[in-house]
Amino acid sequence: MGAQLGNWLDERLGWRRVWEAIFLRKIPKVNWLYTLGSATLFVALLQIVTGILLTIYYVPTPDHAYDSVQYITTQVPAGWLIRGLHHWGASAMVALTGLHMVRVILYGAYKYPREVTWFTGVFLLLVVTAFGFTGYLLPWDQKAYWATTVGTRIAGVAPVVGEGILRIMRGGEELTAITLARFFGVHVWVLPAALLLLIIVHMYLVIRIGISAVPKSEE
Amino acid sequence: MIEDKPVNRRDFLGIATWAIGGLISLGLAIPAVAYVLGPALQGNKSQNWIRLSSTSKVEIGTPTLFKAKVERKTGWITSEEEIAAFVLTENGRDFIAMSNICTHLGCRVRWLNDRQQFLSPCHNGVFDKQGAVVSGPPPRPLDRYEVKVEDDQLYILGG
Repeated sequence: MGAQLGNWLDERLGWRRVWEAIFLRKIPKVNWLYTLGSATLFVALLQIVTGILLTIYYVPTPDHAYDSVQYITTQVPAGWLIRGLHHWGASAMVALTGLHMVRVILYGAYKYPREVTWFTGVFLLLVVTAFGFTGYLLPWDQKAYWATTVGTRIAGVAPVVGEGILRIMRGGEELTAITLARFFGVHVWVLPAALLLLIIVHMYLVIRIGISAVPKSEE
Repeated sequence: MIEDKPVNRRDFLGIATWAIGGLISLGLAIPAVAYVLGPALQGNKSQNWIRLSSTSKVEIGTPTLFKAKVERKTGWITSEEEIAAFVLTENGRDFIAMSNICTHLGCRVRWLNDRQQFLSPCHNGVFDKQGAVVSGPPPRPLDRYEVKVEDDQLYILGG
C-alpha cells in the first residue's frame, strides 16, 4: 500500500531522484567534524519552529514585551521549554556556525570549486549574528535594553556614517518602542527570509558539488 | 522470514536515524501542542462575590441598574472592567440580578418604565420585568447572576 502510493507519487513528482540526490549521495570518507554543518541546520530548524511558537504569545511593544515573555515562561504549558530551547538554541547557532567555519578553514574546503558555497556561508554567519543581536532586545528586560544601547552605540562610533547607522538602527535618537518594533520585524521577517534563501543556495551547492575530502599531507 | 535475514549496517543506521528523528520530533511536537492549546483549555476565569450596593438602595418593584468594578486578568494584562446588573425585588428581601447584556448579540438593554419592559435597541429584543423574552430575536431570557445578601449588602457572583 505504502509502496504503491510511493510509486504513484514518484511517477508524477519524481521525488525518488530528489531523495537520492539529497540523502543517498556519495561522499568521501570523512570524520565527525563534517557533521557540524548538519548540526547547524538542525538547530536552525529548531529555532524556526520554536520562534514561530513564541510569536503566538509575544507582543513587541514596550508595555507588553516583558510581561508577555513572563507569561510565556511562567503561565503557558511548556512555555519555559519553548523559550528555553530558543534561548539556548540561539547560542548554539552561533557556536556551531563558528565551529563549522573553522572546520572549513582548516580543511581548506573553501577552495575551488566551492568558493560560492563559502561566500554564502560567510553571509549566513552574518545573518546568524544579526539574529542574535536583534533577538537579544526582544525580552525587553534590563539586560536587553542596555545591551542594545551599547550595541547600537558601537555602530555609532564608526567615522562619518556611524551616527546615521545608529539613528537607522534605533529608529531615532533614543531606544524606544520604534526600536523594539523594528528589531522584531527584522528578527521575524527580514532575517528568516535571508536565512532561507542563503540556506537553499548553500545546500544546493553542497549537493551539486559534493563535499571535500579530508586533505592529506602527502598530496 | 525476518529472523534469518540479519539486519545489515546500512539498514540499521537508516532505521536508527528515523527512530531518533521521530523521537526528537515527538519530543518537540507534544510540548508544542500543549503550548498552543494551553490557554484555550484553561477553565473559566475564577468567579468572585462582587458587592453591588446596599439592599436599601434597590427600588421595590422596579429593576435598578447597578454597576461594579472588577479586576480581570486576560493573559498578562490586568484590566479593570465594569459589570452592570439590573436588580429587581418585589418585597425588599428576595432579589434577582440580571445581566444587562442582550442574549441576542450582546447589546446593552435598557429599562423602559412606562412599558415595564427591557428593550435592546439593536434589533428590538424585548424582555419583561423578570427577564423573559417577550418579542424579537433573543434566543433566551436575560442571564441571571447568583445573588446573596450579607449585612444588608447585595453581592453577585461574577468575574
